[in-house]
Amino acid sequence: MNTRMILGAVLLTALTVRPALAGSSDAGEETVPPPTMDIPFMHEEAKAAGIDHAYRGGWEFFVGGGVASFDCNGDRRPDLFLAGGTEPARLYVNRSPTGGALKFEEKDLGLPERDLKKVTGAYPIDIDNDGYIDLAVLRVGENRTLKGGPDCTFTSANRLLSFDGGRAWTTAFAAEFEADLPFPTLAFGNYVDRSAPGSPWGTCHDNDLFRPQKRELTEDGKASIPAYSERTALSPGYCTLSILFTDWHRSGTPDLRMTNDRQYYRGGEEQLWSVQPGRPPRLFTRSDGWRSVKIWGMGIAEADLNADGYPEYALTSMGDTKLQTLDEDAEEGRPIYRDIAYERGATAQEPYIGRDETKPSTGWHAEFEDFNNDGRLDLFIAKGNVEQMPEFASFDPDNLLLGGLGGKFTEAGHLAGIDLPTKGRGAALADFNMDGMLDLLVVNREHNVSLFRNLGAKIDPRSPDATKVRPMGNWLEIELAQKNTNLNAIGATISVKTGNTTRVRKIQIGGGHASGHLGFVHVGLGVSERAQIRVQWPDGTWSAPYRVFANNFVRIERDAEQAQYWLPE
Amino acid sequence: MRCRISRVTGLASLLAVVLAGTVGFPVAGIAAEAATRAGPVPWAEQAITAHVDSSLYTGTLDADALKRLRDEGERLFTAKFTPTDGLGRPMATGAITPVKAKRPPQSLFSRTAGMDSNGCSSCHAEPAPGGAGNFAVNVFVSEGFTNADFDSLDPQFSNERNTNHIFGAGLVELLAREMTADLHRLRAETVREARATGKPVEVELVTKGVDFGTLTIQPDGMVDLSGLDGVDTDLVIRPFSQKGVMTSLRQFTINAMNDHHGMEAVERYGARWTGETDFDEDGVSDELIPGDISALVAWQAGLKPPVQKVPDDPRWKQAAAHGDAVFDTLGCNSCHIRALPLNSLKFADPGPFDAAGTLRTGEVPGAVYDLALLDWAATLPRNGDGAVMVPLFGDLKRHRIADARIAALGNELLAQRFVDRDVFQTTELWGIGSTAPYGHRGDLPTLDAVIRAHGGDATPVTRRYEALAETDRSALIAFLKTLVIEP
Repeated sequence: MNTRMILGAVLLTALTVRPALAGSSDAGEETVPPPTMDIPFMHEEAKAAGIDHAYRGGWEFFVGGGVASFDCNGDRRPDLFLAGGTEPARLYVNRSPTGGALKFEEKDLGLPERDLKKVTGAYPIDIDNDGYIDLAVLRVGENRTLKGGPDCTFTSANRLLSFDGGRAWTTAFAAEFEADLPFPTLAFGNYVDRSAPGSPWGTCHDNDLFRPQKRELTEDGKASIPAYSERTALSPGYCTLSILFTDWHRSGTPDLRMTNDRQYYRGGEEQLWSVQPGRPPRLFTRSDGWRSVKIWGMGIAEADLNADGYPEYALTSMGDTKLQTLDEDAEEGRPIYRDIAYERGATAQEPYIGRDETKPSTGWHAEFEDFNNDGRLDLFIAKGNVEQMPEFASFDPDNLLLGGLGGKFTEAGHLAGIDLPTKGRGAALADFNMDGMLDLLVVNREHNVSLFRNLGAKIDPRSPDATKVRPMGNWLEIELAQKNTNLNAIGATISVKTGNTTRVRKIQIGGGHASGHLGFVHVGLGVSERAQIRVQWPDGTWSAPYRVFANNFVRIERDAEQAQYWLPE
Repeated sequence: MRCRISRVTGLASLLAVVLAGTVGFPVAGIAAEAATRAGPVPWAEQAITAHVDSSLYTGTLDADALKRLRDEGERLFTAKFTPTDGLGRPMATGAITPVKAKRPPQSLFSRTAGMDSNGCSSCHAEPAPGGAGNFAVNVFVSEGFTNADFDSLDPQFSNERNTNHIFGAGLVELLAREMTADLHRLRAETVREARATGKPVEVELVTKGVDFGTLTIQPDGMVDLSGLDGVDTDLVIRPFSQKGVMTSLRQFTINAMNDHHGMEAVERYGARWTGETDFDEDGVSDELIPGDISALVAWQAGLKPPVQKVPDDPRWKQAAAHGDAVFDTLGCNSCHIRALPLNSLKFADPGPFDAAGTLRTGEVPGAVYDLALLDWAATLPRNGDGAVMVPLFGDLKRHRIADARIAALGNELLAQRFVDRDVFQTTELWGIGSTAPYGHRGDLPTLDAVIRAHGGDATPVTRRYEALAETDRSALIAFLKTLVIEP
C-alpha cells in the first residue's frame, strides 16, 4: 500500500472500530478505514420473499443443512430445494421479478414425506441427459435420486436408476462425467457409522462411488437411462463432510478431494482419491507427496485465484480456515499443498464482531464468488456453532471476505449486513433476480433461512439505509451447453479475458457444505466493458474465443460460431 | 492480523509518511506546499489550482451554471498539465482499464506509447481548441495491455490515427443515446412478442433511418446476434473514435486523459477499483475528480456544431450547389446521411449507457443541461415533428471501408475493441472543410484522395465518383469545402 493510498483512506473516513474490523458499528478506540472496494448491500428478505424454512433436528442434523440451487422450470431463474433435517425438504420456485425484490413460491413435490425427511443436503445434476435437472438427495438413511421433469416436477428414481441409496448418514456429494461415459459418476460422502461398536468415536462410514453402467446411446443420439447398480467403496472413510471432483494439476482428469471431520475419525486425515477412468479409485499417499492435514473439515471451495490452471482450495473447519495452494516446488503430479490463508487474510478463525470474538468459530459452506463485481473473487463462509459447544463462539456470523489487490481478503460481512445471529450451514450463491449481482441464501440450523438480496454497492459502508446504493462493477453470467451427453458441461473451464487479466471458473457439482448450484456462472468484470471468453469443454477441447460485451447473460453452445445473449423477462 | 492505530498518532504518522513520499518529486512538493499555505503563486507551474466541485452542478443547470461549468471545462481542455497536476503515468499503461506498467518509461513523454501530450488542445487545435490535428499530431492507438511500452511506428504495435475534431460532439452523443434507446426498445418489444407468441421473432433494427441489421429472438429470450450490422452486440451506439467504439464523451475523456496525459480519473483509476489513489505512481493522488471530468464533458458537449458556409465567390457558390446534388447522386448520402433527427437537446451527465469505470446514472446526483441554452442551438433546423435535424453527414454506423482492390484505408493491422481492422464508423463530414488532411491516419492530403480511397462497402460509390466528369468531381469538392468549423 503506498502512502497516498493510506492517506486517502484515512481522510476518507475516520471510522472508530475494534481491531481488525473495518467500520464496525460497535465503537471501540481504534480507527481502521473500511475497504476501498465496493461493499455490497445484502438485504435480508427471506420471510418477505415467501421462504419459511429451517434445518432442524438432533445430533444427526448438527451437520448438513444444504440447498440445491438450479432451474427446474426452464425460466433460467435459480429455484431452491432446501434440506430440512427432521422437517421435510421443500422446493421453492423462483418468482422474483428481474431486478426486483426476491419472491419464491413453495411447490408441493408430491413425494412421500418419508422421502423428504431426514434430508441433509442436495445437489443438482442432469443424470439422464434429458434436459431436466435431477437431484441427488443426501439423507440420514437411504439417499434418493429425484428425476426432474417439466415445470418443477420430480419423481423418485432410485429404482429406475438401479441405485441403492444405502443406509448411511450421508453428508457430501460430487459428480463428474468421466471420459467416454455418457452419464455422470456419482460420489457420496458419509459421516459417522452410528451402528458400529464404539460409535461415534472412530467409526466413520466408507464413502461411495457409483459409476454408470455403460449403455448404448439411442438412435436419435440421446442417451438412455443409466444404471448405478455397482457401488465402489472408498475406504477408509474419515467422516467426510464435503467432496469435490477437481482437476488439481491440469491433467484433464479430475480426482476426488475429500475434507473430513477429525472430531470423529481416528488416524484419519484429509484425502485425495485418484479417479482414473476405468480403474479403481486409489488414495494418494505419502509416497505421492500427499501431506497429512487433520482438520474439522466441513466444506470445500475451489477457485483458481491466480488463473495459473492450478486451483486453490478453501477448507472450512473449526478455527482456522485453510486456503491451500499447490506448492510451486512440487514436482509434476505430486499433490503437495501449502496453506496461504494467513498471508491472504483468509483464516477467518474467530468471529469478527460480537461477544465471542476471542473464541474460535465454526465454518461450514465455503464458496468463491465475486459479490461486488470488482473482478476479484470473494470468499463466503457460512458460520455457526455446531450446537452448544461452549469453547467455540456461539455468536458466529457468516463471513464475506472481499478479495483485494495482491490476493488479500478483507472481512466485510458486517458492512454488507450478513452478520446475523444464526447458525449457518449450507448456502447458495446465485443471482436470484437476474440483475447481474449475486444474491445469497444461507440455510440455518433451527432458524429460518437467510435470503439476502444484493442491492448494489453501499455509498456509505456504514449506513444501513437500503436506498443509498449505487451500481457495482460490470459482470457477465455464462451458460454452457453441449448436446447428447453432459448437457450442462460439468467439468468445463471458462476463461474470461479482459485486457491482461484472465478470470477462471469451473463448472462443478460438489463441494461447499451439502449444497450445490447449477446454472449461470457469474463473473465480475470490474471496469471492463467487454471480454473474450474461451471454454475448455469437459473433453479438454478448447473453443475459439467468443467476444461479448459486459452486463449480459451469455449462452455458449459447443461449436457455435457466436455466443448468444439471453434476455430475462 | 490486528493492528492498533490511535487516531491522532496514526494520522500524524501517515501524514509524515506522505510528506516524506513527496521528496522524490520536488516540484510537486514545493507547489503543493505553496498551494496549501496561500494558494499557488501566480507563476506556479501547474494547471489545476482547484478541482471542479460537482456538487455545485447538480440537477437541471441554468444558463449561468452551464456557462460556469463549461468555462471550467475549457480551462482544463486548454490547460498545459504539469507533473504537479499529475501529468505522466510512470507505472500505468495507456489502457482503458487500470493496468500497471512493467517498468517506468525512460522519459516522461513518449511519442508512440505515450504519455504523448500535456494538453488536449495540443492536438485538438485546428482551427480552434476542440478542432482536429494535422499529421504531425497523429496518435498511436494501442490497447495498452501487451507491448504497452512499444517504441515503434510499426503497425503491428499500434494503429496510427489522426486527431478528430469534436465540434458538435454533444449533439452526436445525444443522437447515439436516442438511437441506442430505440434499439433497446425494439429488442425488448421483440422479446415480449416472442415470449407471448411462443415463436421466434425477427426484428429489423432501424433507428432514425439507419439500418443495423436484424435480431432473432427465441420464445425463451435467447437472442441470435448473427444478423447484426455495424453495431456492437449490446446494441449500444458508440459514436466516438474513428472506429465508433466509445460510448460517451465522458468515457472518451477518461480514456484520453490517461492515455495521452497520464492524468487519471478517480472514477476509473481511483481507490474504488484499484485500491490506490495514485495508481500511476507519479506522486499525485486523485488527479481528476468527477467534477473535473464533468466540466470537460460539458465544454465538449457544448461545442458549436460545424456549419455550411458558402463563400461569396459566385463560381464557388455555383459549384457547391452542383456538388451538393452530386453528393446525393453518387450515393454518398447513403452512409454520410445529411442530417439525423434529434428529439431532445437535454444532455444528462452521467449518461444512460456507460459501463462501470465511467460514472453512470445512479452513482452521483448528476447534471442535466439543455444544449438549447447555447446560442448556436437556435440556428439548427427542425423537421415537421419539431426534432432538431443534426447536419452531421453521418450515420453512426460502422462499415467495411477497405478491400483488396482499394486498400488505402485498410492500412491497420490491429483490430480495436472487437472491430475488424478494415471496419470504421462513417466519418461525419461536418467540418471537413476545416480539417485536412484526411483518412483515419491523416495521410491523405486532399478530399479527392480520400474519396478515391473508399473501398469495401463504399466501392460502388467510389467507382461512380471516378467515372464523373472532372467538373462534377470538382463541384463535389467545392460542396464539401463549404462544411466548415466556425468556432
